[in-house]
Amino acid sequence: MSAFLDHLPQFWQGLVVTLQLTAASFAGAAVVGLVITALRVSPVRVLRGIGTAYVETFQNLPLLVLLVLAVFGLPEIGVKAGLLETAIVVIALYEAAYLAEALRSGVNAVAAGQGEAARALGLTFSQSLRHVVLPQALRTVIQPIGNIFIALTMNTSLAAAVGVVELTATANRVNLLEAQPIPIFVGAGLAYALIAACAGFVTGRLERRLVMIR
Amino acid sequence: MVSIKRVAALAALTMVGLSACGGTDSGSPAVPGESKKSDVISGVPVAAVADILPGSTMEKIKQRGELIVGGSLDAPLLSQQNPVSGEIEGFDADMGKALAKYIIGEPKVKIVNSASETREALLANGTVDVVFQTYTITPERAKQVAFAGPYYSSGLTLAVRKGTTGIAKPEDLNGKTVIAGANTPAIPAIEKLAPKAKIVTFGSDPECMQALKQERGDVYVQDETLLIANAQKDPSVQLVGKPFTTDPYGIGLKHGDEDFKKFVNGWLTKIQGDGNWQKIWKNSIGTIVPGEATPPEIGSVPGS
Amino acid sequence: MSDLLFDEPGPRARRRIRIATVAGAIVVLGVVALAVRQFAANGQLDADRWQPYATWPMWRYLLDGLAATALAAVVSAALAMAGGLALALGRLSRRRWIRLPSAAYVEVVRTVPALLLVYIVLFALPRYGLDLPLFWKLVVPLAVSNAAAFAEIFRAGILSVPRGQTEAGLAVGLTHGRTMRMIVLPQAARRVLPSMVSQSVGLLKDTSLGFVVSYAELLYSGKVLATYNGLLIQTYIIVALVYLVVNASLSKLARVLEARQPRRRLTRA
Repeated sequence: MSAFLDHLPQFWQGLVVTLQLTAASFAGAAVVGLVITALRVSPVRVLRGIGTAYVETFQNLPLLVLLVLAVFGLPEIGVKAGLLETAIVVIALYEAAYLAEALRSGVNAVAAGQGEAARALGLTFSQSLRHVVLPQALRTVIQPIGNIFIALTMNTSLAAAVGVVELTATANRVNLLEAQPIPIFVGAGLAYALIAACAGFVTGRLERRLVMIR
Repeated sequence: MVSIKRVAALAALTMVGLSACGGTDSGSPAVPGESKKSDVISGVPVAAVADILPGSTMEKIKQRGELIVGGSLDAPLLSQQNPVSGEIEGFDADMGKALAKYIIGEPKVKIVNSASETREALLANGTVDVVFQTYTITPERAKQVAFAGPYYSSGLTLAVRKGTTGIAKPEDLNGKTVIAGANTPAIPAIEKLAPKAKIVTFGSDPECMQALKQERGDVYVQDETLLIANAQKDPSVQLVGKPFTTDPYGIGLKHGDEDFKKFVNGWLTKIQGDGNWQKIWKNSIGTIVPGEATPPEIGSVPGS
Repeated sequence: MSDLLFDEPGPRARRRIRIATVAGAIVVLGVVALAVRQFAANGQLDADRWQPYATWPMWRYLLDGLAATALAAVVSAALAMAGGLALALGRLSRRRWIRLPSAAYVEVVRTVPALLLVYIVLFALPRYGLDLPLFWKLVVPLAVSNAAAFAEIFRAGILSVPRGQTEAGLAVGLTHGRTMRMIVLPQAARRVLPSMVSQSVGLLKDTSLGFVVSYAELLYSGKVLATYNGLLIQTYIIVALVYLVVNASLSKLARVLEARQPRRRLTRA
């Protein structure tokens, strides 16, 4: 265990980066995911097509490939951003596709009468989406969103492959130095499990408070 | 709609495949300085029957008819798979073939692609017979594996973008962002000589080069041979100073197999004496590094 | 649902949509053109940087990698599905000593990154004398982590079969095991098929961790190619396209399967 404790500051630093990656990319994914969901249920066919194409593309490419392409490809088209920032954006865009998919199934689960009622009241498309449909849709998909959050946390570890020194990269580096894989990797695993447990706790609370049983 | 697009994509792919079939067969002209094929193996010696001791590792290999080598697929000049021929080319790869020919009579090798951290285990449980993979001899490693050789000596050096100033020696890396290959010996070396350097790692040599060119770091630390090759391919990058480490590469063998170690060292002495070592060097590293090379003295390093 | 949120656009709305579409397309095309120009200015579009990918040997090498990807995906999917089924049944078991460990496995493994599992198999196990061949170094961690995901899919599928089915089975005198095998599982299997395919797409994407293991699947083959020809960006773009084509076809399959599903019958509880 000493190998883990000796490098506690390093692990702390790695954990902070992982948390940054997780929080920032989840926030980004939430925004993009909502937009994509709106596109996919919008009246304009072109927009629906764009939404579908987005989800198709990002769900069908490995995140690792996207990360490598973005880190080395973007500077070649004149976009220069730091490694951490690039990783955050890529993970956000990637997970947004999954969030959009979950949200859409939530929208589909909202009773048809709700949309009709909103329209009958004279609400526009964006008004009925914002005030009537999405609030209800979100409540039905809290659990799936929690799962996406956990998957996103796990996926941030792939940033290690493109030079971001987050928790997994730290563990790997410390292991190179100390050659004590078991305590080091188990320690890192526990940290991830802790993040996931927190996420599970929060979604559980949210669900109990918000869920509507139909 | 979607399916039409997909069919079109497939058709395009097929066409690329077809036109390629009709096109050049000899590989990619876009690759400079590689796949210069000359047969360096045909001239290497074969061991006398008396040297293959009964019950020894050599005899086991000879009976199997194949030498199993722990190595890499993606180390240019040393052990790099040529996608055109499927062959693995380079100094380490040819040394492996030469050893196979010495034992078996034919250069039959099977390369087991091994991550550098698992080499000790691969040797210990007998998955591979030998390791040719820039395996630096250290006294710590020698507690777990036996080293024949050293058969080659190299060192880490620095590469920067042309026009970079203020970096001349490893100590200058303090406070700089340093690019290194993931899991390479460069990382501990930098940590020791420049503890205040910020290290960024990438998975492969071209990724590190791209990162250097895209200014993701100020300097790239890597084995000198590789960097020389890179600087030749890419004039926007230059080497700085002399190598600041000496890494004697050994042939990894199973710990405690004294007979095999003596046998392999005997083979090394032989090919160094008859010019075959030099020929193998000229055909791989020598295509990049000018002049002649002298092999390191066998057993000259602690741990060998 | 989606078409209930708006009326069919009238003539004026349609005109506005058309104008907005054209304007949007011009903006997008402009940005793309700028990006492509920059890309070309950096020499990334030079013919000789793409020419190798018009030759057969490069494709043969990548397709070999794709075959290895497929093999790794199929083997780990088979293992993960078998493990997942056992775990799902275990979690629904009436015996506590089976139920608890199954639940614990699923909950724990679900929260450990696959990459970390790969590192454990790669770096930790060999020190304890267990050094798997390369193929298994990729397949084992993938199977271990995906078994948990498949377990959840199967459990949801089993639970979605109406209770009346189990009760009917028990009522005609079948044992619990036989009810599960002959009545519940066949119905559950049809319901989970689409999720199974999409989870398998996820698994196929996960095999790109071969990049870390240095097992010669598609992405690692791309890495070897890039070290050989130095064409980093071109190689990864091609690799990405191959993944896209293969996975999009699989996803399409999932949708076809879903469409074929009998509409969920309205069962009154």
